[in-house]
Amino acid sequence: MRKKINLYLIEYAINAILRQSYKNFFIVTVFTILTFLLTSVFFITNSLRYEMDSTVDTLPQIIVQKMKAGRHYDIDVNRVDKILEIPGVSDAVARVWGYYYFENAGVNFSVVGIEQYENQYKNSFVNLVKKFDFDKLKENSSMLVGAGVKRTMENSYYKEYFNFIKPNGTLKKVTLGGVFDGDTNLESNDMIIMPQEIVREIFDLDPSKATDIVVKVANPMEIQTVASKIKLMFPDTRIITTGDLKVSYQNIFDYKSGIFLALFIVTLFTFFIIIYDKASGVTSEEKREIGILKAIGWTVDDVLKEKFYESFVISLFSYGLGVGLSLAYVYLFQAPLLRDIFVGYSQLKTNFELPFVFDMQTLFLVFLLSVPIYIAATIIPSWKVATLEADEVIR
Amino acid sequence: MIKLKNITKIYDVSKNDKVKALENVNLTIKEGELIVLKGASGSGKSTILSLIAALSKPSSGEVIVDGKQISKLPDNFASIYRRDNIGFIFQKYNLIPTLSVKENILLPLVPLNPDSEEADEKIQEVMKRFHIEHKEDSVVRNLSGGEQQRVAIARANVNNPKIIIADEPTANLDEKLSQHFLEILRELKSLNKTIIIATHDPLFIGLDFVDREIEIHNGKIV
Ligand SMILES: Nc1ncnc2c1ncn2[C@@H]1O[C@H](COP(=O)(O)OP(=O)(O)OP(=O)(O)O)[C@@H](O)[C@H]1O
Ligand SMILES: [Mg+2]
Repeated sequence: MRKKINLYLIEYAINAILRQSYKNFFIVTVFTILTFLLTSVFFITNSLRYEMDSTVDTLPQIIVQKMKAGRHYDIDVNRVDKILEIPGVSDAVARVWGYYYFENAGVNFSVVGIEQYENQYKNSFVNLVKKFDFDKLKENSSMLVGAGVKRTMENSYYKEYFNFIKPNGTLKKVTLGGVFDGDTNLESNDMIIMPQEIVREIFDLDPSKATDIVVKVANPMEIQTVASKIKLMFPDTRIITTGDLKVSYQNIFDYKSGIFLALFIVTLFTFFIIIYDKASGVTSEEKREIGILKAIGWTVDDVLKEKFYESFVISLFSYGLGVGLSLAYVYLFQAPLLRDIFVGYSQLKTNFELPFVFDMQTLFLVFLLSVPIYIAATIIPSWKVATLEADEVIR
Repeated sequence: MIKLKNITKIYDVSKNDKVKALENVNLTIKEGELIVLKGASGSGKSTILSLIAALSKPSSGEVIVDGKQISKLPDNFASIYRRDNIGFIFQKYNLIPTLSVKENILLPLVPLNPDSEEADEKIQEVMKRFHIEHKEDSVVRNLSGGEQQRVAIARANVNNPKIIIADEPTANLDEKLSQHFLEILRELKSLNKTIIIATHDPLFIGLDFVDREIEIHNGKIV
């Protein structure tokens, strides 16, 4: 007899929400803020994970470092030729680079030297070599910097040049030759690129030496085999593979996630307290209303259906609003405040873009953690009241 | 026909505090009869009404309406029984104060999910009959006592029930409105409804259209 949806019940439910506008406004506000926080955290986490993964993918398959006294040391350039002889190796390049600490800004930049006519171990370098005239850079003693680096330098009033302090205490003045965009934000925003000769001068590196050697392997399945062969050939080296790097990136990331996990738990806890507070309190007015409805012929089912619609409308609305705000906050405004906690290991991530990663799982998880819990929390106390003798309730 | 058989109702206020509201009550009400239950405050009038409406259950004894045992109905069936058979005019009206007149009168129809024209027709009809149609969109909270009672009466009649129950219907009304209620009662009687009124208002004594006056004293019929 009653197959179609009872629109009167839905109308009554919406009406009931509006009649208790003050209380429901409060609930919607709290609910929205919590959904917003939860989804924002998940969105940021997912985006960063994605960014990390793509960063790792651009890293060299194998890095060979010379070790001396347990520390990373300069490596002989001629080892490149030996490594190239190993079957399976498609390319090997000696890299010249290092970290340089900018005291004014309190930041470490990576200073990378490029040889124009060598094989470039990064795609972005190939483009750089095409775009900029390295002979001229060498002549003018100039550098190329990432956009973020430029901003930091400008903040310290280095607009045209910078004086690098060499190991022997003298200064090397390097002028600003250009600005570039990198493959990944995370990496290239703290990168300074110069002709190799200048880097060698700044770090006092002999032409027969390099910082490390990167090795390309044609078949990714052979990375581990090639790595062990290199180790066998040069026992004084440390071999780092992409797999190792993934693990260490993951570690940094997991540490940051831990902070968020704590935030997550606090948020959930707050949510439960508020819900519990609401659950344990059916106002005497609401109680009376349920009693009246039953006295004039509503069944417990009718009352519960109405309460279901009521809480469903409230929770779904708040959930949608929270998710919408979170999408705007994270991807449109790039998560101000929250992202600083996450991307805190270098302050130079001003230009860092959170890539949009649409993740159904996150949305579903937050949905499960909020909407059904809220509905249950409102229906259960109403159910308790509705099953009482109507006479008791309206007396 | 309504039959109360050996009804006893005991309220358990607490472990040591039990109130015997009714004791061994036997009463038969025929279809179309108008009954007035009289008696002092606390004598048990409201308790009888609520048993007939299946709003509460007797501690012992049976309530039989049209051959059906309604004193043992499960909760959901009790609701359906009320919806289909009973129009209850409560002493405090029990309207939802923040809803409009029309919305209040609609409430008993909601579980039936009628077509909107059908619902509207029924609501208009009772609003006209009980003279409240000019206030249909007013919020009940803002109405006078007499107007609120008319809304309560309209709501009790919107499902066209066979049995009308009124608890102290004139308690909150002045002389003129009380007289008006008697008019309404006369009209309901002419519609051949079974009517049960609980009151201690002397106004109801000796009325020509009242079939029986029943006196309750300390939970017993005298
Ligand atoms: N829910 C309840 N819990 C405890 N005692 C109750 C309850 N309902 C009624 N009583 C008691 O039962 C007795 C009968 O109450 P009832 O309301 O039926 O009397 P009444 O005749 O309608 O009185 P009044 O004229 O004041 O409305 C009273 O003593 C009352 O206090
Ligand atoms: Mg009473």
